[in-house]
Amino acid sequence: MRTDLSRGAPVRATDLSAKDWPQLPKPPRQVFKWVATTIIAAIVLWSFIGLDAKWSRLLDAPADLYTLGRLMFSQMEASEIRPLIGKMWESISIAWMGTLIAAIFAVPLSFFAAENLVGRPVAWIIRQVLNLLRAIPEIIIALAFIPVFGLTPMAGVLAIGVGSIGTLGKLFYEIIEGIERGPIEATDAVGASRSQRLRWGVLPQVTPELTSFILYRFEVNIRASAILGVLGVGGIGTDLTQAIRFKEWGTAGLALIIVVVGTIAVDTVSGLVRRRIVRGPGASSDGGSFEAHEAELIAESVND
Amino acid sequence: MPASFAEPLALSLRDVVVDHPVGGGVVRALDGVDLDVGAGERVALLGSSGAGKSTLLDVVAGLVRPTSGDVEVLGRRIAELGGGALRRHRSEVGVIRQAHGLPGALRVVHNVNGGRLGAWSTVRALASLIVPMGRSDVDEALGRVGLDGLADRRTGDLSGGQQQRVAVARVLVQNPELVLADEPVSAVDPRLSADVVELLCSTTEREPRRDAVLLSLHDPTLARDHVDRIVGLREGRVAFDLAAQAVDSGMLTSLYAPA
Repeated sequence: MRTDLSRGAPVRATDLSAKDWPQLPKPPRQVFKWVATTIIAAIVLWSFIGLDAKWSRLLDAPADLYTLGRLMFSQMEASEIRPLIGKMWESISIAWMGTLIAAIFAVPLSFFAAENLVGRPVAWIIRQVLNLLRAIPEIIIALAFIPVFGLTPMAGVLAIGVGSIGTLGKLFYEIIEGIERGPIEATDAVGASRSQRLRWGVLPQVTPELTSFILYRFEVNIRASAILGVLGVGGIGTDLTQAIRFKEWGTAGLALIIVVVGTIAVDTVSGLVRRRIVRGPGASSDGGSFEAHEAELIAESVND
Repeated sequence: MPASFAEPLALSLRDVVVDHPVGGGVVRALDGVDLDVGAGERVALLGSSGAGKSTLLDVVAGLVRPTSGDVEVLGRRIAELGGGALRRHRSEVGVIRQAHGLPGALRVVHNVNGGRLGAWSTVRALASLIVPMGRSDVDEALGRVGLDGLADRRTGDLSGGQQQRVAVARVLVQNPELVLADEPVSAVDPRLSADVVELLCSTTEREPRRDAVLLSLHDPTLARDHVDRIVGLREGRVAFDLAAQAVDSGMLTSLYAPA
């Protein structure tokens, strides 16, 4: 956003005399506080009653957990480690393929959703498409794909791919709307065409952040693909649910450990790559402002 | 000295008014400007900030449409150009703006090549981002602005003054008929800035067609040493339009005096 100093100086705090200071708002009346508290308490109580949970079991939970943990560690077999790592690798592959598919669709869509590149009506329409895609949980998309592709990793890949387009597209157009106009105007000034303007004026500014968010989404999708495995589309999630169903606690415990360790490992590597991409080679200390921006966008995407 | 009628004019502005919308109202950036620049002329614009120098350059470049008035550049009426014709026109006008618009993530060689986008096909432009084309021209242009050997550096890693010179090199490879430069040396150190201004001005000498140079400067001495004519702008109007040697310090003082 550009500001023009000639358009009227901002009012500084020191220009105001004491009587000009805005009055502090009066504290809200206590009645509202009590009404609000009562309503919230009623809602909480209502949902507790509505849930058919056996709350008495809560007391037994620590003992049950201990028993389960003991069974898991006593029944573990080293021979299962290798095949389970293979399954984790399958989950990671599903996440990676899905993320790439999402990125391939999200990048062009986001150009048409950015108001600084296209007209407002076009941007609005594309944004609604992205919102719609964002609103459907991956697991529902997977259920829709299973009749077409069967219980195969392909169904998982497509579910993750379609499910990530909305979020990635939203993050991308926000990045694109934040770019400097200078390079775009500079390409216009030499008589560049629209596609040249995009390639020379826009992409060089956004590629590092776009790549970084694709990698971040990949991290999120590894967890998603492990969950999708529960449906039976492959990956370590499928083995985990089967082991639990057949009470093979040793296998279930190993699978859990491999999921946690594998996810942390990929997160760490991907985080290092992202930092390197965003800060550029050689630059080490000036990533601060971007990281704040990234944290803000990530916080938003987590709410989706 | 205005060009004689026999010679073609590089640009001609008649009663040009530009209103910038600001909030609910408008700010008049140019208020009835008349200006002729003849072929081969070098003209400097002087004036305090807000006087309308940048807006005037944007109007000539075809980046800002005037609210009223006639603008003729390189024999074409800007208002009648659209689409492809406007793009062709822009490719013949070299522009250096204050925000020089160099993506920091691109290597210097690509930013210099950005000057040729108007002349290149889309395919060629895309291919050039992978394998830079016209490398020898780029190296030559960088040499002329004193940036030898920096072609493969990331543009964002260069100093402000070096980036300004990359923008100058971009105009050199564009090889335009008309050069418009808005404070092209504001961040370049004094010793080099004279060279860079001379370099920009010398682009008119290579092939005397309708070429001309119009640049805004903050340093009156630099202007007097390198250009033929100085146009003083004050509050959107032409305060004086004289041969460079005829401008005296009294005129400059009143030009920069607070309103």
